[in-house]
Amino acid sequence: MATPLLRKQLPDPGSFVERRKSVRDSTALRLLSAERSEEIFPILLEEIIALGFPRALVLGVDFETGAVRPVAALKYQPNQLQRFHSQLWAGENPLVSALHALKPAILAPSGGEREPLYCHPLLYRNRNQCWEAERERRRECLAVQNFRSPHKLQLQEQVCASCAMRAYAAMVVVPVDRQAREGELRQLRNLIETANRYLARLFKVEHYYNRMRDMDVTISQMHTVMQSMADPVILTDSHHRVIMLNKAAERFFKMPEGVTEGGARAVELNNLYFSAALSSMAVSGVESHRDLTLVDVMEGEEVLFEAVCAPTFSSDGVRSGMVTVMRDVTDLRRADQEVRSNLQKLRDAEEVVRQDRDRLNLVIENVGDPIVVADGAAKVVLLDPLAKELFGVGDVARHPAVVRNQARLDAYLTAFTFSFADSQNRPLRLHNPASNSEIEYAARSGKIYDARGQVAYTVTVLRDLTAWKKLEQLQLERRMLEVEKFAATGRLAGTIAHEINNPLEAIKNAIYLLPGKLKPPAQPVYDILKSETERVTRIVRQMLGLYRNTDQVGPFDLNSVVEDTLTLFARQLSTASISVEKVLGNLPPIVGSADQFRQVLSNLVVNARDSMAKGGRLAIRTRHVRATDGVHGSVNIVLADTGCGIPTDMLQSVFEPFVSTKGEKGTGLGLWIVKGIVENHSGGIRVRSRQGKGTVFKLSFPIVR
Amino acid sequence: MAKAKKPQVLVVEDEAPVLLTYRLMLEDQGYEVFCALSSQDATAVLGSRRFDLVLCDLSLEQNHTGFEVFERVHKRDPEVPCVLLTGYANRETTERAEQAGITVFFKPIEIDEFLLTLKKILRNSHGKQAKANRN
Repeated sequence: MATPLLRKQLPDPGSFVERRKSVRDSTALRLLSAERSEEIFPILLEEIIALGFPRALVLGVDFETGAVRPVAALKYQPNQLQRFHSQLWAGENPLVSALHALKPAILAPSGGEREPLYCHPLLYRNRNQCWEAERERRRECLAVQNFRSPHKLQLQEQVCASCAMRAYAAMVVVPVDRQAREGELRQLRNLIETANRYLARLFKVEHYYNRMRDMDVTISQMHTVMQSMADPVILTDSHHRVIMLNKAAERFFKMPEGVTEGGARAVELNNLYFSAALSSMAVSGVESHRDLTLVDVMEGEEVLFEAVCAPTFSSDGVRSGMVTVMRDVTDLRRADQEVRSNLQKLRDAEEVVRQDRDRLNLVIENVGDPIVVADGAAKVVLLDPLAKELFGVGDVARHPAVVRNQARLDAYLTAFTFSFADSQNRPLRLHNPASNSEIEYAARSGKIYDARGQVAYTVTVLRDLTAWKKLEQLQLERRMLEVEKFAATGRLAGTIAHEINNPLEAIKNAIYLLPGKLKPPAQPVYDILKSETERVTRIVRQMLGLYRNTDQVGPFDLNSVVEDTLTLFARQLSTASISVEKVLGNLPPIVGSADQFRQVLSNLVVNARDSMAKGGRLAIRTRHVRATDGVHGSVNIVLADTGCGIPTDMLQSVFEPFVSTKGEKGTGLGLWIVKGIVENHSGGIRVRSRQGKGTVFKLSFPIVR
Repeated sequence: MAKAKKPQVLVVEDEAPVLLTYRLMLEDQGYEVFCALSSQDATAVLGSRRFDLVLCDLSLEQNHTGFEVFERVHKRDPEVPCVLLTGYANRETTERAEQAGITVFFKPIEIDEFLLTLKKILRNSHGKQAKANRN
């Protein structure tokens, strides 16, 4: 695994062999066979004893606590070891100061010892840089530093800047004779140094092994973290190839076993979308995010993701790939949309409310009566313009009459608001500034309740009774006038008819007496006399018929009157090739004069007949329109013909007397009489007509139960 | 069988031309017609003789009406049939006439119908009279 560069820096085999010679081969082999750093010290101590020294021990330094204590000892009694326990900062202890000095030294005997002590401090050191420093081309390596400059032990410096290796510090302590030979000491020193080299090597290996294990743990932790993330996480290389997926991502990007064709296509599509998104994100910058819609392969649903993408870099600063984390924002978007739509709804509702309020204001302004809106405490909150005149705003409010009005209104509102009544209808005397007089208003009030059932507002409409009464009077007068007019017209017609009647009677009778007394040339003159007198007779008869009022009044069946009339005209209608279509509804009896109704129907049927000179269709329908309020209903009769129709300019006046579309043939009284009779029965009549198409008469009579 | 006596008919009418035409028409029918231009004249005539039929206009001179004449007729003989002629009658009038058994004709009359009705009235009244005489 070593790079060529590394190999070059290896110590040359020659020097290695030469150094080994100073230590016995068996010792070297034993140390070499050690696989763990802990095995080195026991071997070392045994070899020291083998060299002929009586005892030996190793003091270890705990960098965490600063404790200095024996970690291995040979030929020592446990109680003898007690005095070797110390602390790094106990500088007065000669052993500790020897350790700090980092140089082999012989300490004079002290305490219970008889022999001087040979002390040999050991420190992690190596000629070769650690692998990190090697790879990263850095000079800072603890092993090398310790190898080159073994000054005093500096605790804070005993961590490698490159590989974070923490050094060990120990000291071999061997009692030596006073007369120890130089050769023996050199052998001892060489042995210890050799052992330290092996120890350093094993320590280095163990360090890397531990680091590897740490990394393994970290990796597995990271893996667990990644897998346990609910959001899909994808690691890709610089070519956007997927290196790693977590479970959540597999759901979208990995083909599950036994997947359907659709599912497989979904996976392909997802991968396609993802790599497209990745490419664009890789281009766009350091860290970016975008929306991505993927299909859930299992559920088949579309899921909207927000993909956040961060590039990964190798140690030399080159982009090595991307980490993409995707957040499911479907619910978020849905919630967002819901919030938006709710907001819109709220705005719409507000708009509706605003329009309602505007409309209400418009209504209030146009009611034409003063309106007062007060709150639940009987305090006025709104006055319409008319009410403002009565109760005043601004300067007007100080006028004594207005102040009196306000007091009366307050009393009224207070009484109503705190009463149990939902509504109230009471007279209220107020000063009217317009007429400068006291006027009696009809005050109508209602309550508006809030959700809790408390009175929120009261609305009071004031109606000027005098004005109202005046209006009613006026309407009554107008109606009376109309009735009077009709009666007057009737009386006039009656009088005229009566005055004409007698002379007419004489003429008629005289004509009747003429036949046989005339010379033949006078015959045409006689005919004219006869026919024209007949015509005048008809006119007078009809006029009188209306005002005679001689008929029986009582309940009768309108349908049978219709039947009678149609029977009467059946022959005439069929001769004129007019087909009759009648639909008679189930009718309640009508109170009135059956004879007059007969005349009404006769007149209308005759008109229809005359309008259809070339034949046609006459439809008669009767119908009972039921009362919606249970009291007021009506009976309707419709007569529709397919005749020549009434000219538009005449439609307005067909019900007036002496208006006829039939020229000399008609009296111009038929419809006038029809209208008179209908109105005498409190009914109404309407006509619709189109020239050349036909005419429809609709008659309606109220039925009161 | 003795030759049937002509029916005696009294016509009361305040307008002379109308009265004349009635008279001519009724004489045409073979009736013996007596004429009166006012209720006064009528009263005078009624006092002197008995009639088979009395025709009278509703409105007579001043404020007199045909009903006065009919009352006088019926005072003497309730069986004498009466016919009211009118150009303008309200409901009260017709009801009153119907109650008193008086036939009403509205002017202008339908002459053929009028003459036919008179014939019927006279026949009925003669039948009654004959029955009464026999008894």
